[in-house]
Amino acid sequence: MSQPTAPETLGSLTDETPIDPNSKKAKAITGRSPMQIALGRLMRDKIAVVCAIVILFFIIVAVFAPWINKFFGVDTETVFPSQYLDILGGGMPLEGPPNNGFDPDHPFGIAPQTADDNLAYWVEGCRTSLTIAALATLFASVLGVTIGLLAGFLGGIVDKVLSFFIDLFLTVPFLLAALTLAPILNERFNTADSYVTIQKFSLIGVLAVFGWMGTARLIRGEVLSLREREFVQAARVLGMPTSRVLLKELMPNLAAPIIISVSLMLPAFVAAEAGLAFLGIGVTSGASWGQTISKAVKYFEQYPLYLWEPLIGVVLLVLSLNLLGDAIRDALDPKTRR
Amino acid sequence: MKRNKPLALVAGAALITLAACGGGDGEENEGTTGTEKKFGAQEGGTKDATLEGPAQEVEGATEGGTVTVYVAGDPGPNSLDPTDGWSVLGNSIQQALTHRSLTQYKRGEDGQPVLVPDLAVDLGVPNEDFTEWTFTIRDDATWEDGKPVTAEEVAWGIQRSLDAETFPAGPGAEYSKGYFAGGQDYAGPYTDKDKAYDAISFDGQDVTIKMEKPFPDMDYWGAFMAMGPAPLGKASQPPNYGTDPLSNGPYKIEKWTPSEELILTKNDQWIAESDPARHQYVDEWIIKFDQDQAKVDQIMLSGNSDSQTAIATSIGSDKYEQANSELGERLVQQTSQCVSTLTPDYTKITDINVRKALAYAYPYQDVWLAGGEVPGVTRVPANSIMPPGMAGKKEGFQPDGEQIVYDPEKAKELLAEAGEEGYEITMIFYEVDPLAVAVQKQITKGFESAGFKVKAIPVQVSPYDIWLNPDDKVNKTLNLRGVNWCSDWPAGSTMLPPLLSGDGVYNTALFSEPEIDAEMEEIAGLPLEEQGAAWGELDAKIMEEFFPIIPTAFRNDLFVFGEKIGNPSGDAALGAPNYKDFFVMQ
Repeated sequence: MSQPTAPETLGSLTDETPIDPNSKKAKAITGRSPMQIALGRLMRDKIAVVCAIVILFFIIVAVFAPWINKFFGVDTETVFPSQYLDILGGGMPLEGPPNNGFDPDHPFGIAPQTADDNLAYWVEGCRTSLTIAALATLFASVLGVTIGLLAGFLGGIVDKVLSFFIDLFLTVPFLLAALTLAPILNERFNTADSYVTIQKFSLIGVLAVFGWMGTARLIRGEVLSLREREFVQAARVLGMPTSRVLLKELMPNLAAPIIISVSLMLPAFVAAEAGLAFLGIGVTSGASWGQTISKAVKYFEQYPLYLWEPLIGVVLLVLSLNLLGDAIRDALDPKTRR
Repeated sequence: MKRNKPLALVAGAALITLAACGGGDGEENEGTTGTEKKFGAQEGGTKDATLEGPAQEVEGATEGGTVTVYVAGDPGPNSLDPTDGWSVLGNSIQQALTHRSLTQYKRGEDGQPVLVPDLAVDLGVPNEDFTEWTFTIRDDATWEDGKPVTAEEVAWGIQRSLDAETFPAGPGAEYSKGYFAGGQDYAGPYTDKDKAYDAISFDGQDVTIKMEKPFPDMDYWGAFMAMGPAPLGKASQPPNYGTDPLSNGPYKIEKWTPSEELILTKNDQWIAESDPARHQYVDEWIIKFDQDQAKVDQIMLSGNSDSQTAIATSIGSDKYEQANSELGERLVQQTSQCVSTLTPDYTKITDINVRKALAYAYPYQDVWLAGGEVPGVTRVPANSIMPPGMAGKKEGFQPDGEQIVYDPEKAKELLAEAGEEGYEITMIFYEVDPLAVAVQKQITKGFESAGFKVKAIPVQVSPYDIWLNPDDKVNKTLNLRGVNWCSDWPAGSTMLPPLLSGDGVYNTALFSEPEIDAEMEEIAGLPLEEQGAAWGELDAKIMEEFFPIIPTAFRNDLFVFGEKIGNPSGDAALGAPNYKDFFVMQ
């Protein structure tokens, strides 16, 4: 290390104009932690702010889904389509889009064939999507961080074994595993009353089990470089137990890579959930954007709104999460030149 | 005859398939702009034993051109061996174009199928009690290599159909083994290699078949390509023969890629004078299997040069309205002699009032809509098991006085009468198909609002795999199943016994009444002209007295024809496009 005495701050590495340490401005800067600096950068990033607002909107929709539906007076109950659809005139809704104007009872219109309310399904679909993605991200990142930490810090045979498993899971094609698992679970649990819940959690499980390897590799690499640093060595020399070294010395330094991998994992899982539902695995009963898209594809000419609604939901959410993830990475990275 | 595509067998089918005229009811007329279409219906079978080749010219027909047939969502046959063919798709193409049999159907003037001779010079000569049939094989029919089709080859082809082990999907297992003398004890020429089988014999040009029991429908059975010739010995060894069978019809197999494509070209050895019903106008047929329905719809509605000489065997329900207004005569509706049913387990739901309550609790229109059907077009209300127009069918008959429609109040009354309020129904649905899921939601809602409890078990295999497997643990818990059944020929004998006799293969209702079984046996032995009416009577009697099966719909098919396809029409015998009579307008 060429500058062993330099403080571990990020500010000194940026290209901000050096400020006279005695000026008034400098007073405001002093005492800001790396996290505060990163946050400040994030707040100045217009794209990041817009994305954060969009994501917040989706989170609010997901959390308050039942109340939102109640407010609009819609629900996901099955209805008899023959009362709402023009049976002999092409099966399109009698009221509302695509052939008539806005229908206040169903702000997003109703679905052809089943006459389900689109808004209710959209809101519930948002909930399904975010719940599954968030839980899968949580499990995958906990698993990935734990394994990465252990592999990187302990080294030797432990590292070899864990790295082998990381590679092994990377070789199993995710889609194939999901496709194989669905009928097995169905065969085992289809008579159980909690089948729908089991199905949801198995999907979260599949996503998590096949989504942790990237994080684990990233963390392992970081730990490999960190554990040779002086402060870690010092902690060991002082006789700190391994658990304390891992949690108190290494973890804080890993905050940045963890936040980055989480923020990029979320959109990947949202997209994966929608993709699986589109293929007919994953969530088969209940609302899901992917499922609505697969039903709506053939109506792209007669009833484009039906397809656009879930499509915009998925695209907007995934895009925002991705852009925000990128912005967070930029903000946390001291080497970024802006 | 089973529909080939397993999904189409489930209550909610992805494709539009069969039916006859019938209006909807209830509040459905608002905003309706569609024009009424006439259906090609089938009204029983007529026969013409004396028709001679060549086939009557189609008015304005010209020779030449290539026709492309788009088959959506169906991978087509697994084998082209005529003995193995028992699907609407495979049989309709092969029987019309490449493989001849004892008899065949011709589309009559009024669109009705007429049974006419094919390789035989007539429709066969039965003895007095229909236990022995003699077919005289014509001497001018030829194979694609120019050799004549001999009586020995026909006899050999028929004998092959008894090998249920080699051809498990073939129709011979049902009819040849069921009716031919000693058919149950003879495992067929490939499995029982050394055993002689003497019920089928040939002498000169005559082929004689001895029956175990009276079989008056042998002439209809003769229209299956399984009742046609096969080259002797090794040349027709399965399974290899199934990849490139020797053709004897107006076309021969140029190239076949299973699940993808079948290309047929003109067979120049075929003699028009030997064939009373087939034509050879088109130069080449390209049949494309397993197509995407949305893609096919786009091609057919685009009117571009690709679509002008194309035929689609189905159309997406979402495109029906557009096709109906834009295509006119080129959208053909055809009844396909099929019935969709729900089958309450006769051993568990023993009270007829509960079965009737189920019929009133089933939301017909809503199920069709949710399943992607066009109510009144591809699905029409049903009253009994025999499809409309079948010989002997009691038209206008209603098992419960009038047409059963969705009526939860009536269902509640019936349940109360039976003292079974809150009766729990256990059924399965195919959760991989979103349409089947949507259909199940409708059924559940309908049943529940009529006072039933519903336990719907999601499955990921074809429901038939479960319904037909008596040892399946899920199947044991079910008390409501279903089956979609199509007739093999226009006679009650291909509808009632398979579904409702004690040992019927597709008797998923587990219905068994010795009285009915005996009656079926008895009708099979009646003189031919009395049989139709007798089957009709029995059909009505079963529905009235036992109501063991709930017919939910009769089914119709829609076919789309390109601008330049001449004579767009359907084949009522099979519920398929009428491949025999098409030509390309030049």
